Formats: sequence, C-alpha cells, structure tokens
Amino acid sequence: MSPDQHPPARAASTFTRRGFLAGAGALGSGLALAACGAPTGSSPTTISFYLSKPEVIPYFHRLISTYHSEQDKVRVVLDSSSNVPADFVRNRPPDLGCWNYNFAVAEFVNHGALSDLRDTPQARSINPALWPLMRQTADYPGRISAIPYSVMAEGVIYNRDIFARHGVSVPTTWSELVGVCERLTAAGVTPFFNTYADTWTIAQGMFDYTIGGMVDVAAFFGGLKQEGTHVGPSSATSFSRDLAAPMARMVQLAQYSNKDAASRHYGDGNTAFAQGKAAMYLQGPWALGQIALTSPHLNLGMFPLPVTENPSDLKVRVNVDLALWIPEASPRKAAARDFMAWLMQPRINDTYNNDNDGFGSRIDAPAPTNPALAGLRKYYSGGDFYLGPSQLIPASIPVANYAQAIVLGSSPASQLALLDADWSRYAIRVA
Amino acid sequence: MAIAPLPTAAVRRSGFRRVEPTFYIFLVPTLILFTLAITLPAVMGIVLSFTNSVGFGTFRFVGLTNYQAAFSDPSILQAYGFTFLFAVITVVVVNLVAFLLAVSLTARIKARTALRTTFVVPMVISGIVIAYVFSYLFGTSVPALATALGVGPLEQSMLATPDLALVALVIVAAWQAIPSALLIYIAGLLSIPSEVYEAASLDGAGGWRQLRTITMPLVAGYIVINVILGFKGFLNVYDIIVGLTGGGPGTSTVSVAMSIFNGFSGGDYAYQMANATIFFIIAVVIALLQLRFTRGKATF
Repeated sequence: MSPDQHPPARAASTFTRRGFLAGAGALGSGLALAACGAPTGSSPTTISFYLSKPEVIPYFHRLISTYHSEQDKVRVVLDSSSNVPADFVRNRPPDLGCWNYNFAVAEFVNHGALSDLRDTPQARSINPALWPLMRQTADYPGRISAIPYSVMAEGVIYNRDIFARHGVSVPTTWSELVGVCERLTAAGVTPFFNTYADTWTIAQGMFDYTIGGMVDVAAFFGGLKQEGTHVGPSSATSFSRDLAAPMARMVQLAQYSNKDAASRHYGDGNTAFAQGKAAMYLQGPWALGQIALTSPHLNLGMFPLPVTENPSDLKVRVNVDLALWIPEASPRKAAARDFMAWLMQPRINDTYNNDNDGFGSRIDAPAPTNPALAGLRKYYSGGDFYLGPSQLIPASIPVANYAQAIVLGSSPASQLALLDADWSRYAIRVA
Repeated sequence: MAIAPLPTAAVRRSGFRRVEPTFYIFLVPTLILFTLAITLPAVMGIVLSFTNSVGFGTFRFVGLTNYQAAFSDPSILQAYGFTFLFAVITVVVVNLVAFLLAVSLTARIKARTALRTTFVVPMVISGIVIAYVFSYLFGTSVPALATALGVGPLEQSMLATPDLALVALVIVAAWQAIPSALLIYIAGLLSIPSEVYEAASLDGAGGWRQLRTITMPLVAGYIVINVILGFKGFLNVYDIIVGLTGGGPGTSTVSVAMSIFNGFSGGDYAYQMANATIFFIIAVVIALLQLRFTRGKATF
C-alpha cells in the first residue's frame, strides 16, 4: 500500500484486530502460532486462489494448469471450500479472490480490506457501464476494490418446443404472460417449475424479477439509505410501500407453479425442467449447463420476465458473477496480480465467458454465442439491466427466507414489514 | 500408577513441590491446547462482542449496544424461542423412547444383541447425511405415500409448513439421539442387581409396579444425566436444520446456533458474538445445574 492510498487516519480509540491478536499472541509467547515464510528469490511464489462458483471448479483447474505450463514464477492453489469470511477474521485471507460480487464481499470492500487495483491495466479495460453496478453493491471511496470478470444475465428460461406445441410466443407484457400461463395450464402443462426448498432460487428468481421489472432498483436502495434507521410504514421509501405491488405479482405467479415446489431443490428443478415437466424456469444461465447434463439437445431460449404492461420496461437481472480482488492482508500481491492479469487476457477471459454463458466485462468483450442467450443480448448491450435486489440486502437479513414464506402462503405485507424492521435495526447496528 | 507420598505434617507444608511431576506432564499439553483453541478464542469473542467489529479491520468499543440490540431483535428472540421449544420436545421424546427401548432390550428377549446393535446404528451416521436422507423422505416419499393413502395434511412436504417442520425436525433429531441415550439407560438398567427384582416378585410386585418403584428410582441418576446432556446438545442444533429446512419455511426453524453462524457472512460479527456470549452464559448455567444434580445423585 503506497502512502497516498492509506485509509482515513484511525481515531485514537479504534483498535485493529491485528493489534488485538498481537496482544493475545503475547499471552501465549513462546508458542509459535504461525510462521509465514517469506518467499525466497528463486523458488516460485505460491498463492491461494479462492473461487466461489462450484460449477466452474474443474474449468479453473484446467486454466491453472495452463498458467503453470506458461510460466514458473507463480504457483496457484485453488480453494473453493474454505470459509472466506472466517479467513478474513483470522487475518489470513486468500491472495486472489474470484467471487460472486454480492453482499458477501460487500463487508470486505466497505471496510477497506481489499487492495486498490486502480493502477492495473485490467481496471482500465473494463466496460464503464459496469462500475455503477459495482459501486451499488459495495464501495470504498477512491478505490477500485474488485475487477469484474464475468457478468450473468438472468431471466426466464423457456422450452421453445413446448411454447411452439401450444402456440404461445414470448410474452412482453404482464397480461401476455398471464395469458401464456393460462393457456399452458388449460393444456395440462405446468407453466413454471419452482424449487422453494432452496430459498436462493426464489430470491434470485421470482422475488428479484418481479421487483426489478417494476421498481428502479438503484433508486429504491438509494432511498432506503437516505431513510437510514427509520425505514418503516411512515417513511418515504420502504419495503412495505415500494415492494407491495411486485410481491402481489409474485404471489400471482406462484399459482402457476408445479404442485410439489415446496419440497423441490435446485437440482430437482434442473432435472425436471430438462425432462420437459414445465414450460418455464426462473433461473440464470448457470442452469443451462446443468439442464444439458440431462437433455443436451433441448431447444431453450430466455427472455426477461414482463411485470408491467409496457414492453419498454423490460429489463434483465444481472449479477457480477465473478470479480477478482486482492486482499490488503495478502503478502503476495505481486504474484496475485500476475495471475489476475493472465486471467484477464481476452483469450482466457472471453473463452471463459463464452464457455460458461457469461457476458464479458471488458469494453471489447464479445457477446456469448449460446443461442439460448440470444433473447437477453439486446437488453444487456442496451444497458436495460438491474442488480438483483436480494443481493443488495445484507446477508444478516434472511430475505430469501421471507420470500419463501410469501410463496408458501404468508401475507406479503407481514414479510415486508419484517424486512423494514430488520433493515432499520441493521442500520442502527452499523451506524 | 504413580502415587504421591503419604502426607505427613512436614510434607504438607511444602505440599506442592512434592506432587509427582508426571501429573503435570500429562496435564500441560492439554492445558496449552485447550487455552489456545478454546479459552483464548472465547475470551476474544466476548471482548469483541462489546465492539462494532465486522471480524477484521478497525473497530471501536460500543459498550452494551450489541446486547441491547440483541434483546430487542425479534429474529433473535424467535430463534431462542424455537430452539428451546425444540430442545424441550426432543428431550422428552428421546428419553421416553430410549427408556422404553432400554427396558425392552434388557429383558430376556430373542436376538437382544442384534437388536441393540441395530438401534445404535444412527449414532455413527453424520448429522448432515441423516438430514439429506430425511429431506428426501419428507419431500418425496412421505407426500407420495400420503397421496396414495389419502392422508390430506401430509400430501405437502412436512418441511414446508412451520408446525409440521418442527415435528419433522424433532423426529430426525430424536432418531439420531436415541441411541446414545439408549446406551446410557441400558448401562443403568444392567447396574440394578437382579436380587432386588427377585425379592420384589416374592413380595408379589407385578411388572408395572417393579418398573415404577424399583427400576425408575434406581435409574433416576441416569435419567438426569440423559435429560441434561440431551437438552444441552439439542440447544446447539445446527446441522440437521441446515440440511432439512435451512431455517424455513420463512424463518420459523432458525436455531440460535444458525443465527450466530450467519453473523460471519452478514457483517454482523460483533452483534452475533454478543448473541453467542448470551448463549454461552445459558450453557454455563445449564452445566452448573447438571453438576449440582449429578453430584446429588452420586450414589445411584
């Protein structure tokens, strides 16, 4: 860390965990707890690389072998099972993180635990439209704490053959969507396959899609921040007030679900959808590969969920599926940057995104070629996207569980009131 | 075994130095490990519960703020309510079933050893594996069976309705916990000399009367141990809930241990440390009660 990048001077009454640990360590003096060996000149530097996306672990193992075969200064050890927040607590974070950029990383960013990457050529290569999304999730003023690697665009996955068989086309308004569902139901086809047993599938699916399709997500969260600790029935912005309409849509959508949704998991959903047990599936492109494991040649497409009567409101949910970051506490930043630069090369980055149905994060990145994603491409390139609201709520607020309660029959008003109260309490705690 | 020399008046004055050093040699490694792995982190956790730490970086002391917030947080109170309800119900179910099983399995029945072995099997299976197996049973097998038999309420997954989810969790927790309680009860029952029963039969006491006035009082100590150890264990319930309901439906089955652990990823580190400290104090109180009870029954 160079002097001009220091965080604001600490107040006299603040403590650091490191100082605290040093004090605690003194208590157990003579007992060598950890001896971090500094890398010696000739032997390669070994860095730890944490990956949050289980689907691409084998893919990254192959990438790492390629990297190893192209140079011998840096050795990379892939880890996808450690508890990264706990490793930050122990002051032993990974050297390079490749993580879903959501609330889980937000704490590290907001507290300045990630190093500044402004001066890297990779930071300059990023599509500028992505920085507002990055900042909306988490921000440490004046720093670029993470570099987006892959962006996923999400919507409704639909089975083109089932649509064609029943003479329905892709809906662009809410009433058209209801019409499609009614027509399919009348023909004995389940419109949506839902998997409520895995709460995240509700949060990223119905919950986020109905909100993002109706509400300006960035403005909504901006308003919540302004309300601070007073989010509730009487505030200008609140979950109760602003999300009531989307939740009513969600409840209506839940009626067009498979009957056993309450006990189905994500894996069940992929298998069932692959077997043609429903016409639509509210998932991101990560599910396409899983569906293909059962039915490799299914004719699939995607479209943004229409929630209003105006087709120009159509937007896709996006999330920065992977972003690269290097913790301040890493003693091997240079080696980590070397591997990061290698990963960000167009030949590696573009191939990764195309192979895994992601949209590129660099200005010059091509769109993925998978035909299933064609229906989302124009929304992504036109900037008609929003970050999943469930990803912008702190993890200590169990929003996915609240969404589950709603689709299982609780009143949306009661769950939204819980969200308001949780949000205010959280704001008080972190104030 | 090394025995310290007989205490005479002269030795007693310098008592400490005369203790066989072997005892200390045995003690020290464990003491160091325990201090480093348990005591030190626990003390650090308690100290951090008075701060606004997110687990790393800078922090400052905020006094009792976290504790005040925890006591007025409905989600934490709900977790305590659920956890205690779950622990009480499970303890009753486990001990009732384990005791009755133990009585049957110490009687002179056929295939006694084989049956005992069978009943102990759940003890060696990890909680998360049990949870996933039962998750399939509750989510797929039970609804299919209920639909075939026309049992309306069970046609939906038990895990999807708050009250039935509690029942399902108790069933699974009990299934897993009964073996260890069973073993303790069998040991207790075998420790009762058969002469007592013979004398009782001569006096004309029937099976029920023997159970009530001989067996029960003589295994009372074992019942106390089982109830207190079981209760303490069920308060810490975590893995089977994560595997079965993930805290759902809604947040109706979030246990205290789950809410504490979620603090790690939610930036609520210090806040949940306060919660953990409260939980720790409760555990200490229960442990003291246990000591008191078991000491009182030392001659069972």
